[in-house]
Amino acid sequence: MKGRAKKPVVNKFFVVIYWLIFLILGGLFFTNDFGLVDIHKTSIITAVGIDTDGGEVQVTAEIAVPQPSQSGENIVYTQVQGSGLTIADAMNEINSKTGFYPKLQFCKLILIGESCRDKELFRVLGCFYRKNYSELTALVAMCEGNASDMLAMKSAVSEMTSEAIRKILSDEVEKSANVTSANLKKIAAMQYSESKACYMPYVQVNQPGTSQQGGNGDNVGGDGAGQGGQGQQNQQSGGQGGGSGGEQGQSGGQSGGQRGQSGQGGEVEFTARKTAYFSDGRFVGVLDEQQSFALCLLQNEIRLAVLPCDSDGIHYTLGLKSVDCGTKLKVVDGVPELTVKFKAKAQIQGARVKVDLKKIITDDVVKPSVLESAEKEMQGRFESLMDDVKSSGGDVICAKELLYKNATKYFEAFKDDLLQRMTVKYDIDIQSVN
Amino acid sequence: MKEMKINVRQICFIFLAYTAVTKLLMYPTILSQLCGRDLLFPAAASFLVEGIVIWAVAYLCSKTDKTFFELLEDTLGNVGARIVFALFALFFFAASVLPVFEQKQYIHNIFYDTVPSLVVFLPFFVFAAYACGKKLTNIGRCADVCFPIFVVTMVSLFIMAFSSVRWEELSPVLKTPITKLLGGFSGMSFHFTAPCWMLMFMGRFKYKKGDAAKLTFAYAGGAAVVLLFLAVFYGVYGAVAPSRTFAVARTSLFFPAIETLGRIDLILLFALEVVMLFATVLNMQMAVQCLAACIGTEKYALISIGINVALAAILIFTDVVYNAIYRAYFNWFWVAAALFTIILPLLAWTLKRRKRV
Repeated sequence: MKGRAKKPVVNKFFVVIYWLIFLILGGLFFTNDFGLVDIHKTSIITAVGIDTDGGEVQVTAEIAVPQPSQSGENIVYTQVQGSGLTIADAMNEINSKTGFYPKLQFCKLILIGESCRDKELFRVLGCFYRKNYSELTALVAMCEGNASDMLAMKSAVSEMTSEAIRKILSDEVEKSANVTSANLKKIAAMQYSESKACYMPYVQVNQPGTSQQGGNGDNVGGDGAGQGGQGQQNQQSGGQGGGSGGEQGQSGGQSGGQRGQSGQGGEVEFTARKTAYFSDGRFVGVLDEQQSFALCLLQNEIRLAVLPCDSDGIHYTLGLKSVDCGTKLKVVDGVPELTVKFKAKAQIQGARVKVDLKKIITDDVVKPSVLESAEKEMQGRFESLMDDVKSSGGDVICAKELLYKNATKYFEAFKDDLLQRMTVKYDIDIQSVN
Repeated sequence: MKEMKINVRQICFIFLAYTAVTKLLMYPTILSQLCGRDLLFPAAASFLVEGIVIWAVAYLCSKTDKTFFELLEDTLGNVGARIVFALFALFFFAASVLPVFEQKQYIHNIFYDTVPSLVVFLPFFVFAAYACGKKLTNIGRCADVCFPIFVVTMVSLFIMAFSSVRWEELSPVLKTPITKLLGGFSGMSFHFTAPCWMLMFMGRFKYKKGDAAKLTFAYAGGAAVVLLFLAVFYGVYGAVAPSRTFAVARTSLFFPAIETLGRIDLILLFALEVVMLFATVLNMQMAVQCLAACIGTEKYALISIGINVALAAILIFTDVVYNAIYRAYFNWFWVAAALFTIILPLLAWTLKRRKRV
């Protein structure tokens, strides 16, 4: 007989019923409808601040609470604090206060207070790496003073303080070498490499609308906005980056004022041009703006970096494009040799001379003397970074990892004192765009 | 003329898609924990061995049009064939246990923000019972549906992951002790059952010249997807990889658009989950087929319900001792895997066969 035999109607009915049950259960399977969560009854953790007090960890969670309103969705941001021997203890307390299981899927920022400096970083942060407690995409930064105080401040640029801080740690800022951004994944990958060192941005608070003068073009920040706490610049390293002429930039300005004191309407602004760095999980120091700039060039892909330099008594601000920067390590005659290579195309973005509109069109050709000054400035910044890395032993330039990858047979011999033994060569070449 | 229940295209899709998707959850994590940067080597070795066996069985199909059961029956007698199929049923059942556990944990962890109860996973067994109650023809049709989904989702996930891969994380190579590489090779053997699928497909499809090569290349394609995924996963996470479970849901997290748009990768993961579900139940389907052949019935429904109830009971009652079960599988399952996925398929060449008509 050709074709299919007709199925009895009852059979068809059961097939339909079966498929209906399957679809309903499938829907539940994927959406957890029985465990429906009312968005208005949730509290979403958008950022956490971590401080330590004695043996305890204090976690301050910035929480977004959706509020129903007639003019659409409205979100209120508030801070809830928990404490305990581990971050999980503190989170449990926050859970009991907010009534929502805080799986940190929406947490985009982890701010580490200065009080954590004497603690092992990955013991403090360990909770975030366990099982699937949080994705490792959250940005990590160390802050001046207490993290809880910083999260409680009002920002001039966003209602959500953590968002204002995240703005200064963004990819775009990183691609201009103005911040050494780091997330949970990046710091752990660096720490658990052969170099056993990691770094993160150092966030400072300033009064809005102020900027410290005398920075030779690297001016940032301004008057401190009262972090108080444990004072700033403890164990700060470097400080004066190499370079040509004038004082080097100082960010952050004066701090240590009254807690809560700030600019217009209690609002503050944030900067993160310095870098806190760690070796074997222990805090080592803070790299200044010039060292951070050099580190950022070494570690990230840069689209446009701004480099101030002086030449023939004139101050120039150069834009560096097509940046190719990196390190190579090889062992030559039994001596490890690190080569820092930097190549870029420069164009003038600004100069302290009266502008001649007729000459602007040909201004793109940068004079050799300016390029030479720029190369000197760059080398000075790299040297300053290398000096700091050598003296502190915090291998943020990943020299040991390079040795392990490129000259594995020498690794055991040099791994303990590589930074002190290695010689550093600089291959810096800045050319005019045109 | 004997009814052909599946065709070569569908088997190729099964080897390509199902081989890959079952190895994207815990397999990369465990391998990176054991072998670090060298995680590709034990995986490549496993695929190479399995690929050779698949080619051997596929090539055997060119020499006979009998099913595996018929070959056994002609050589060992009906009772012998039934005993061997009962053992294969047991093997397929055992090979299903950990992948089902992995599925349950994956769904609980990735698709839920809160902590769901075990009950929310149980509908899986309703789906599995239905799928296992169907004949081989349906396995092929499902593969036809799943393959395009697999291609689209994997390509998209790879694109999303590539921007954050640091390939230098994979060097230097072969610095891991050989014992760990061997551990990675043998310990994950419960993920490698494809040669047994080929045995079960024997005599159920119309073999044409060159099909053995097609099937082997399809398997190699699946293997290439997994190897590329392992490289991408380790390239994204580096030393952090051993702490990242459910790898397929992690690799695209650093895609720039996710920061702005949220977890758009979840759409792809939901789609891929459909393929994963069919791939996960394949061993259960094979267990049902083997048990049905052993008993001598074509009524799969009751057997399917029995097997699914047993698996659900294992899941419910042993959920809290998952780590102990995992360790037992890691240490001992390779013995069964070596016997059923390498030795017995190769021994099929010694069974009596007649020339293809």
